[in-house]
Amino acid sequence: MREPASEPSVLREPASEPSVLREPASEPSAPTLPEPLTTMASPFRMDYTYVAGTGRSVFLRGLAEGRMLARRCPACAQVYLPPPEFCSRCLSRLDEPFELDGRGVISTFCVVSFPFPGQVHEPPYVVAHIQVEGSGTRLMHLVREVDPADVRIGMEVEPVWAGEDERENSLTSIRHYRPAGDEYA
Amino acid sequence: MRDVAVVSFAQSPCEAANRRDDMAGILLPVIREALGAVGVDRDDVDFFASGSHDFFEGRTFAYIESLDAVGAWPPVSESHVEMDAAWAFAEAWSWLQLGEGDIALVYGIGRGSLAADLDQVLPAQLDPYFLAPLRPHRDALAGLQAAAMIDAGLTSERDLAEIVVRSLSAATGNPYAQKSGHLGVDQVLDAPYVSTPLREHDVAPVGDAAAVVVLAAGDAARRLGDRQAWVRGLDHRMDTHYPGVRNLTRSESTRVAAARAAELAGFGASEVDIAELHTEYSHAEPLLASALGLERTVVNPSGGPLAGRPVTATGLVRIGEAARRILDGRAGRALAHATNGPALQHNLVCLMSGEAAA
Repeated sequence: MREPASEPSVLREPASEPSVLREPASEPSAPTLPEPLTTMASPFRMDYTYVAGTGRSVFLRGLAEGRMLARRCPACAQVYLPPPEFCSRCLSRLDEPFELDGRGVISTFCVVSFPFPGQVHEPPYVVAHIQVEGSGTRLMHLVREVDPADVRIGMEVEPVWAGEDERENSLTSIRHYRPAGDEYA
Repeated sequence: MRDVAVVSFAQSPCEAANRRDDMAGILLPVIREALGAVGVDRDDVDFFASGSHDFFEGRTFAYIESLDAVGAWPPVSESHVEMDAAWAFAEAWSWLQLGEGDIALVYGIGRGSLAADLDQVLPAQLDPYFLAPLRPHRDALAGLQAAAMIDAGLTSERDLAEIVVRSLSAATGNPYAQKSGHLGVDQVLDAPYVSTPLREHDVAPVGDAAAVVVLAAGDAARRLGDRQAWVRGLDHRMDTHYPGVRNLTRSESTRVAAARAAELAGFGASEVDIAELHTEYSHAEPLLASALGLERTVVNPSGGPLAGRPVTATGLVRIGEAARRILDGRAGRALAHATNGPALQHNLVCLMSGEAAA
């Protein structure tokens, strides 16, 4: 064991340091290559405007008001939640938005138990696709207020909204979903 | 070679900043117009090809959003290039040459307005070791090229001002242009420098737009309309990555691409009636005209990119504008040029004619 602080000159000149690194170069046929550069800093910062478009804007503004707005395709009757502006099957402009109460059933889910940089929620937590009643598409959200081991496909769930003063043009205006069945009441 | 033609072209007006529409919203009416003009249903389209760049969108795989305007259900055959959509056109043309289908739709979306400051973004297209850390201004490499051309006696600031005046004047007849007007040469020369010797109007104004071209092969093309703009020759070539290695006053990649395209077409760039050139700067026009061997050709009758540059849609607009003049009978033969990269690094040349190959 070596005290790094006691040998400052070695630390400043890594190329001259351990003999192990020099061994390959001592093979008769190996050419002597210059030390390659391994790191250089060239930081980029880029700021963008994101254009949500008319369709998404309807839905995101609804969330800020505590309303879940869906839209129906006049051609194929598909109901989108969240709704784009045009049906991605028929390319028809979707009908006027209408409100759903947001209750539905879990159509599939997974339990995230892995920590990662930038993680917002403490693992383990449940990420689910929720088939909201009245919608033809599935909405992704968190399921909380239940032990992950008790979550099941087909479980009835309901949205838990953020307080009125915390709501924004974002899906985070719904804090999470929770079981809606009587046994959890 | 299979006979393949442009049968339809549509574009959206180039706007300095479209804050209303997402990608699908910009694109959908343009696709409808292009397909509607030739009575093609989207189910009849065998292949979709598109071009755009995440640089400009600020998201990875940003173009996926645009597929909502194509209708990717049931699943479609499609491809995307992370560059100007003129290269998506080249891919679709090749795909039709392979006989995989008869009708292809090519679209380009360019949104230059989303980045808060393009000078934060554009260094990322440069070599990360020798160029990007220097953070040259977005127009600095073009300035080097223009200054070298003037020094070599290939153009002058007054020549460039005349190109600007002619382009913006032509754009007054183009309803899709972002910028147009009847300016005087002295007025243009009074504008401040952006990157010497380039002044304000020498630099194409960046904007947001979408463009759509419908390509069809053989009898399918003949069935879709009375006139076709047959793609008689197409080629693209690339110069080396490090601009310091190149002679910036010449474009060897353009010259070679034009020679190869002419070999395929049976006629050369000097024999076309009009040329639409992807000139992101005024000085690119004399440089390209020389590389292509253009003589008395009308250049950029639409006004060209100096009247509006919807970034990655700009090259496809050149192909569409050139084809449109054949489709409406104003030109017999036309050339379209597109470019990618700094200081005309990568160049595409497309030769079209109202007559299919004999």
